[in-house]
Amino acid sequence: MRGMISERLTRKENMFRIIKKSLKTGVVTGKYPRAETPVVPVVQATKDKTKLFRRSLTIREVDTGSCNACEMEMNALMNPVYDAERFGIHIAASPRHADALVVTGPVTVNMERALKDVYMQTPDPKIVIALGDCAINCGMFKGSYAVTGPVERHIPVDVHIPGCPPRPTEILKVLSELRDERRRSDD
Amino acid sequence: MADAQTAMTQLKEAYGASIAEMTPINGTPRLRVIKDDLPQVAHYIHTHPHLRGAMSLLWAVDHRPREARYELCYLFTLSEQKDWLLLCTDLQGDDRLFRSITPHIHAAKWYEREIRDMFGLIPVGHPDMRRLVRHEHWPKGSHPLKKDFRWDTVLERVKGQHAFRRIEGEGVFEVPVGPIHAGIIEPGHFRFSVAGEPIMQLEIHHFWKHRGVEKLFEQQELTAAVSLAERVSGDTTVGHSLAYCQAVESLLHLEVPRRGRYLRSLFLELERLHNHIGDVGAICNDTAYALPHAHCGRMKEQIMQLNDRVTGSRFLRGVNRVGGVGIDLTREQLTQIVAELDGIEPDFTELERILFANASLTDRLETTGVLTEQTAWDHAVMGVVGRASGVDQDIRRDHPFAAYVELPPKAVLYRYGDVRARMRVRLDEIHESIRLIREIQQRIPQGSVLTMPTEVPAQETWALSAVEGWRGEILYVVMAGEQGKIHRCKVRDPSFVNWPAIQWAVLGNIIPDFPLINKSFSLSYAGNDL
Repeated sequence: MRGMISERLTRKENMFRIIKKSLKTGVVTGKYPRAETPVVPVVQATKDKTKLFRRSLTIREVDTGSCNACEMEMNALMNPVYDAERFGIHIAASPRHADALVVTGPVTVNMERALKDVYMQTPDPKIVIALGDCAINCGMFKGSYAVTGPVERHIPVDVHIPGCPPRPTEILKVLSELRDERRRSDD
Repeated sequence: MADAQTAMTQLKEAYGASIAEMTPINGTPRLRVIKDDLPQVAHYIHTHPHLRGAMSLLWAVDHRPREARYELCYLFTLSEQKDWLLLCTDLQGDDRLFRSITPHIHAAKWYEREIRDMFGLIPVGHPDMRRLVRHEHWPKGSHPLKKDFRWDTVLERVKGQHAFRRIEGEGVFEVPVGPIHAGIIEPGHFRFSVAGEPIMQLEIHHFWKHRGVEKLFEQQELTAAVSLAERVSGDTTVGHSLAYCQAVESLLHLEVPRRGRYLRSLFLELERLHNHIGDVGAICNDTAYALPHAHCGRMKEQIMQLNDRVTGSRFLRGVNRVGGVGIDLTREQLTQIVAELDGIEPDFTELERILFANASLTDRLETTGVLTEQTAWDHAVMGVVGRASGVDQDIRRDHPFAAYVELPPKAVLYRYGDVRARMRVRLDEIHESIRLIREIQQRIPQGSVLTMPTEVPAQETWALSAVEGWRGEILYVVMAGEQGKIHRCKVRDPSFVNWPAIQWAVLGNIIPDFPLINKSFSLSYAGNDL
């Protein structure tokens, strides 16, 4: 059976194997095509709002009915290639620890209450980022009986990142703009 | 021995009086059964040792305004040759009641509740009559898939609370989780009952993301709805759009050019690859082993960037069209894809070595979240999860589509049904996908990739199509309406079937292992909730 490992390795041998692999792989961070300027620029008022967060931004991601492509791209942001952590962008496990909410998907009838609850739970000052076409204008799901409208109908939105789904580089570009001006990243 | 033909004869002998009509539809035998006798016939198909039909799909159609009747269709897959067998029955006029088959066939449980919510038809005798898709705050009498329910209705919000099944007793606690979770994942609610650490009961309360996809399909034209199918579950863009396209193609009697079929297989395997690699990493991450997660994230990203370079979309959006594919690849691009995979394969094999030499990882994976073969069969579990529990099923082999007639894949099968088995299925399928892509590159014929549709399908004709997406069997039933519109589109992602099975796989495990078990199933919330 392929890949079936019957060989018994000592811990040390496997450790050398791991180190060897890491050396062979090298640094992959930053190996991605750069994004152009964001389609919807971040307004000055929002930048002023995020000044308090200084160089870091802690995000809580809320899915209110997306097709899960936006989630995949948010996850990709945390992989070694994009490694958003190097810019001080963290994902928080609870809205109570977050500076920013990233909301994806049209707001479904069933998720409406949960979204409002999350917004209430996030401490002020906070910003809301609508990620993807669905969150901005409901996309393909506009008008459906099960969709109550875009995120903006329920909670105030500060930043829009259009795309279906937006590429991780595009998301990163916008998130970088929200961080302190003096320490702009190389992207 | 038990192909569909012999099954038909057998059924005619046993239940001749209950069967009103026998006609094949697109090669699938269809029996029209008298409504009240259906549970017996279904039970016979399900339990007869020569047939052992697994419940594959159950859907309803509202035939109004043309005819005042509802139709219920039950699709079975016979266990030996994987032939399909379809049972249909009618609910005439104002009849709203049908007999539930769930007491005998567990796999029907969610389908029947779904039909009750969406059509207002009542499965008499169903052991669980709570709402499923419509949460309790939906007003009474709102059944979205009825033809007299407008697609853009604004729903009122009424008071109501979901009643969870409760276990009470000394030291029994309830742990609610969700709908919003700690990671970057989709919303869903899990209610655990625990005594100490082990889980005594898990109840899954989903459908938070219900967007009304099936109703939205009914507003679209047959040839235009591909982009909606791509957004049913974003990570399965190719799988869903391909299943939809195939259904429409058989309605329009379109023949997809050979090169187009090869490219479809290529894209489907690329999608399988990046998702499987990502899942392997995520499973390791849930055991707090971050190194493989980083490596897998890197390789997954490599494939998604490759997708972007050759098709302009990281998710391969827009490649499938009705009649073929929208993008042709040059010889250089094909070589480029294979060259990239030639780099990834040894890279990944090295990682596999590292993984399985790690005792603390295998310790977490083995005997965790066991889904037994019997439970898997009872719930008609499929895809990766099924193949890890001894359910030998792969649509690419059983009902070949795209180019799989000429490129038969080797189906992977494990029997332990634990997290490790589900991981092993993925590892083997990764190698198999790479092999298939190499073969596609070598054997792809020249020619066109797209046939343009010319005719409009006759009203009320319908077609069934199945695709082995990376999670498992994706089924689409598309019925043509007037003037090239869709009358009904039933979408079935494998997640809809596999979600309930988690409730059994976690029993006796500890809550900290739940994320691991959940990840090893890797199911879609969006594809389930529709």
